[in-house]
Amino acid sequence: MIKITNLEKFYRTEEVETIALNKLSMHVDTGEFVAIMGPSGCGKSTLLNILGMLDDPDEGSYVFNDIEVAHFNERKRADLRKHNIGFVFQSFNLIDELTVFENVELPLIYTGVSAAERVKRVEEVLDKMQIMHRRNHYPQQLSGGQQQRVAIARAVVNKPKLILADEPTGNLDSSNGNDVMELLTDLNEQGTTIIMVTHSEHDARYSHRIIRLLDGQTVMENIMV
Amino acid sequence: MILNYLKTAWRNILSNKFYAAINVTGLTVGLVVGIFMLLWVQDELSFDRFNSKADNIYKVGIVGGTGLSKQIFSNIIAPVSTFAKNELPDVKDGVRIMAVGDAPFKYKDKVFYEDNFCFTDPSYFSVFDFPLIKGDKRNPFPDNNTIVITESTAKKYFGTEDPIGKTVIIGQNEPVSVTGVIADYPKNSSFQYRVMLPLSRFNYLAYIKNKTSYDGKTTVQSMDADWSSFSFQTYLLTKPNTKAAKLEKELQAIHERQKPEDAPVPYLTQPLPQMHLYQADGTDGGMSTVRMFAIVAVMILVIACINYVNLSTARSMLRAKEVSIRKIIGAGKFQLFMQFMVETALLFALAAAVAIALMFILLPYYNQFSGKQIALNITSFNVWACVVITLIGTLTASSIYPALLLSSFEPLKALKGKVTAGIGTAAFRRILVVLQFSVSVVLIVSTLIIGKQLKYVFTKDLGYDKENIITFNMRDDMHKHADAVMNELKKDPSVLAATVSSRNMVVGGSSTGNNDWDGKPKSSNLWFNQIHGDKNLIDFFKIKLIQGSNFTGVVADSSHFIINETAVKEMGLSGNVIGKRLRIQTINGTIIGVVKDFHFQNLHKKIEPVVFQYNPANSWRVYLKITNANAQRAIAISTAVWKQYNNDVPFNYAFLDDSYRRIYSDDSRQGQLFNIFSAIAIVISCLGLFGLATYSAQVKTREIGIRKVLGASVARIITLLAREFMILIALSTAIGLPVAWYAMNKWLQDFAYKTNIGWAVFAFAAFAAAAVALATISVQSIKAALANPVKSLRSE
Ligand SMILES: Nc1ncnc2c1ncn2[C@@H]1O[C@H](COP(=O)(O)OP(=O)(O)OP(=O)(O)O)[C@@H](O)[C@H]1O
Ligand SMILES: [Mg+2]
Repeated sequence: MIKITNLEKFYRTEEVETIALNKLSMHVDTGEFVAIMGPSGCGKSTLLNILGMLDDPDEGSYVFNDIEVAHFNERKRADLRKHNIGFVFQSFNLIDELTVFENVELPLIYTGVSAAERVKRVEEVLDKMQIMHRRNHYPQQLSGGQQQRVAIARAVVNKPKLILADEPTGNLDSSNGNDVMELLTDLNEQGTTIIMVTHSEHDARYSHRIIRLLDGQTVMENIMV
Repeated sequence: MILNYLKTAWRNILSNKFYAAINVTGLTVGLVVGIFMLLWVQDELSFDRFNSKADNIYKVGIVGGTGLSKQIFSNIIAPVSTFAKNELPDVKDGVRIMAVGDAPFKYKDKVFYEDNFCFTDPSYFSVFDFPLIKGDKRNPFPDNNTIVITESTAKKYFGTEDPIGKTVIIGQNEPVSVTGVIADYPKNSSFQYRVMLPLSRFNYLAYIKNKTSYDGKTTVQSMDADWSSFSFQTYLLTKPNTKAAKLEKELQAIHERQKPEDAPVPYLTQPLPQMHLYQADGTDGGMSTVRMFAIVAVMILVIACINYVNLSTARSMLRAKEVSIRKIIGAGKFQLFMQFMVETALLFALAAAVAIALMFILLPYYNQFSGKQIALNITSFNVWACVVITLIGTLTASSIYPALLLSSFEPLKALKGKVTAGIGTAAFRRILVVLQFSVSVVLIVSTLIIGKQLKYVFTKDLGYDKENIITFNMRDDMHKHADAVMNELKKDPSVLAATVSSRNMVVGGSSTGNNDWDGKPKSSNLWFNQIHGDKNLIDFFKIKLIQGSNFTGVVADSSHFIINETAVKEMGLSGNVIGKRLRIQTINGTIIGVVKDFHFQNLHKKIEPVVFQYNPANSWRVYLKITNANAQRAIAISTAVWKQYNNDVPFNYAFLDDSYRRIYSDDSRQGQLFNIFSAIAIVISCLGLFGLATYSAQVKTREIGIRKVLGASVARIITLLAREFMILIALSTAIGLPVAWYAMNKWLQDFAYKTNIGWAVFAFAAFAAAAVALATISVQSIKAALANPVKSLRSE
């Protein structure tokens, strides 16, 4: 599903140039659950953002579902993104002014799904995330674990082929964190490819494979058993 | 989709009530004032355009005199229209109007005192869009003893009865019958005559029944043969595409052929729709005010838009996260753009609804103040067009930039709180604030200078005395017994002095170019303003005699002249002019005195040549000098005397200083309006500034907290917050003052006599703007500076 070769990303400021990704190559197959680990500042988030087409690489190739997307413009990337990729963040990133239901409904609105179909699909996914009873609450009225469940619901409501999660349990206690990992595992078992950045070896054990980064390069890959 | 946008927009307004309130208030005030002003402008520009042939109707004028005494006659001689119609192929028709006022119209036992009626040609009803709704369209005036009246006049005279065929007595004993009725005039018609008499009736009365002569020898048989009496407004209906310049030349040629001694006599034409706002020579009349109002209206709307743009772009930083999330989830740029447009539109709809409601409430006051009759009902299409266009214009101006800005955030950066757009937009916002306050400064300065000039006008020593004087015009019977009237008035102790004159001293009167004196240069075409009066006139008004002597009332005085200094200068004389020969019209006489210049015209005009003539017989206006304390008694006595001669006509008198104030009523109204405009501009600007200061304090809460923990004093923090704004205000002053200086110099050019602008006005304006802005900012800054740092740090 994903194949990147010699990917490079630089950040230039007036004084210094940071190499966030340094000739990085890797691939992820459809249906895989991959964890990315590494010390702070090694380029994990940068990689995830490029994979999610929120950012573009400076050099190298990124093939997504057999399409070269490294030099896609913003509109094309946005288009590809909204139909194929769901995001889960450490800080949930729900919209405070919208209710649980409306937050989850939003991606469907942007992909032009009809209103009746939207209700059906949102209710389905809220049910699955066991957050249905909170559908009319606003994010501030929920606990962190509940918020992350809403965020996951929002990421999967469009039935994306790929879910990118950047430290999804980072702001949660271990019990809530485990719930989230169970959810992701379930999704993966139903066929969704998952790439997750994490600092926690515990969470990484839920994945099939761990890619370890150091200074923007792959240093090791462990296959989980 | 739209529904979703609306829902989000509505929530956003609710969750930010403070900003929404500031925005809606600013927009509402701006819209109400802006729209009211634009409606006024629209109405002024619409004058006379309802006439379907307006573009092919020209008003004819004649240029008379040279140099200082050059003037334009908008009332011209009667034959021009007749000759033009007969001889010029371009001219299809002509209308002459001789306006008259002041006559009682009697129907049965009811008396109506009409002060606005006219003699006119029958073409009045076909050239202009004033068709007869009752009577014979082809023949409105079957004979000289007929009249046409307006609908409301008919109602006033005859109630519900059919007006056609009714007999009305004009004046003492002149019966006429009603043969036509026209609809009431639109409010934006320059013509508002309530009764029309046939011009042929005037011709009969003035030229056939009573013989008219222009030089005391030759009698003229008809008004169409009188090339000397400048009494008729003249309008020509031409074929389409007629060249005005050519028409003027042709008219001049006709005149010079018929009366060669007048040559050269340049003619002027003015298109009908321009008559209301431009002078006869094409220079600005009311147009300068209209232009000024249009500019100020747009300025006020711009200020209101700026508030919206500034507040929403400032707050966009706070919404960066929301925008990023939406983008990551899949929102396209256009979808986000639309979302913010809808948000603005919703806020605008709120403001517009409040504004329109307010306009309905304020409309009666507005109409009273502006002298308009604007109605806000379904049928007033033009009014609504103006309202809707203004709304759409302001909406567009304020929505596009914030929507573009917000929808173009880069999702990753915005999510991390690194919105780099900040620097650019902050600069843009500063420019807008400077623009707002520059406008406010200009308006403050304008208000002050207009006020100063008005004070100058009202307190200037005019060179004659206008205080504690009442004046009225005698009518026929009274004038016949003028000596007895004056004696009776003077007898009363409440009357300190009395005089009569042909001229209303503050309003104006007749002038003549028919004159000659020893040594008159051939090229000179000097016009004299004529003031006829009795022997008391000059003393009565405390006009200073600087050479020669006053009239004494002897018979020889009828060929004596007293002139002013300007006349001496313009005549090219110097030194002792007493005894020099001067002919004014048919009177060949000598100059016996010279008076110091005095302002017999309003201060918009330079002092012109004046000639005083001893002629009580032509002096219909009575002036009584009284004291403040016994004014009531003097009025009572005058009323009693009036009643002896004119029982059925109401006594109309005026205080001379009131009349003087009234000629500046336009200027005074402008002054008042500018007070209002500047107040509103400042209020709206400050509202925006208040919002920005609040935002700025809010954004800096954390920074302030850290600084306080590190030991910064409250005063330091207030300075930190207020400094940026104060720099902007200083900049606005630097821009606003020169602009105001330029604009006000232009405005003052309209006055021949004017106040010094002086630096104090500018200093005050700069100070006022800074003070108001500082007060606005400090509320928020002080609040932020005093806040407990522990609290503000935790809130992050
Ligand atoms: N916008 C930026 N401008 C400049 N440098 C950046 C920017 N974003 C990231 N970097 C740099 O790129 C490198 C990689 O950053 P990245 O956020 O990918 O690290 P990370 O592995 O996600 O770290 P963490 O585990 O702390 O989240 C870091 O050295 C960081 O300083
Ligand atoms: Mg990271």
